[in-house]
Amino acid sequence: MSDDAADVQRVLAGDVDAYAALVDRYYDRCARFAVRMLGNRDDAEDALQATFLRAYRALNRYQERDRFSAWLYRILVNQCRSIAARRAHRERVFVREEAVLLNAPDRRQHWSGEDEELVQRVLNELDPLLREAFLLKYIEEMSYEEMSALTGVGVSALKMRVKRACDRLRDRWERIKDD
Amino acid sequence: MTDAEDHPYVEWIAREARRPVATDPAARARVMEFVRREPAPRFSVWHRLVQPRALSLSPLASVALAAGLVGIGIFTGLFVLRRDGQTLAEQPLAVAPTVSGLPASDTVVTFIFAGKASQVSLVGDFNGWDAKATPMTKVVPQGTYWSVTLPLSAGRHVYAFVVDSQWVADQHAPLAPDDGFGRPNSVRLVGRGSSL
Repeated sequence: MSDDAADVQRVLAGDVDAYAALVDRYYDRCARFAVRMLGNRDDAEDALQATFLRAYRALNRYQERDRFSAWLYRILVNQCRSIAARRAHRERVFVREEAVLLNAPDRRQHWSGEDEELVQRVLNELDPLLREAFLLKYIEEMSYEEMSALTGVGVSALKMRVKRACDRLRDRWERIKDD
Repeated sequence: MTDAEDHPYVEWIAREARRPVATDPAARARVMEFVRREPAPRFSVWHRLVQPRALSLSPLASVALAAGLVGIGIFTGLFVLRRDGQTLAEQPLAVAPTVSGLPASDTVVTFIFAGKASQVSLVGDFNGWDAKATPMTKVVPQGTYWSVTLPLSAGRHVYAFVVDSQWVADQHAPLAPDDGFGRPNSVRLVGRGSSL
């Protein structure tokens, strides 16, 4: 039995604190997806809170043969979709030159403010479905089969979304590289 | 990355976006605060029913149970064996389905799915959402109707069909509210006094 499955069993047996272990194990990873997907920390925190609460309420529906992370991500992706649909997109103006960042030395472990805003702005420009597919593929590093099981979308459609997302990014680079 | 996606700018965006984000410890703590206010989730009824469990009996109860089982065996043998030595199982038999073993509160319910598929099963709160627990069978071998009949306790049940691995709601039943999983579910009310 995996650590996840053992923790789920403990929670269902009445040990609520065992859920804290699951939250600790997945919070940061889920936070990264939520922030990248929603574009700001307030919305991301709402999505995370709703995700972990819904997962807790539905824990007796979790099947051990499924990976807990995939099950949790399915909830997270749907929460992000709901929040993104409810809230208006908030545009911000950024002045950072992207070509400079692209060629800058890479020594940081975490994002600093300007870089984060820049990359987030680029991601926000993608259509939500393309952004979601791009994030699951290249940030969460899932296989297309995992993505399909998580989103309910076919593998070929997901491949097309990822390709279109990459095409959009490449087009963007062509527009800005000579500036 | 594939050839189509192999571009320094795309790689840079992906690499930057893979960096961990700094999270607010207070926000994480709030998650557990809210969790502790929730009713504790428990194993489903289905899970409890199918879980193996140890049964301990006193010596006297063990003797009584053994005697009862032997009695049932003798009683069954007397009824099943005919004088010519043939058993009833070897005879053509047409018996209507019986529900005599059900708890009084349960009702036998039939679910029907209409559509072309190679495999259909029923999932719901009554079987732990296990896609393998309740397979449906074709009504006729070449038909497009699938059915399954099972006892359900009185109340509101949420369910769906799994059609060739795809989650499908029952088009002929009310839809359940979104449960956050992004999958459509339907509602079946069993018995009197149930409500959506």
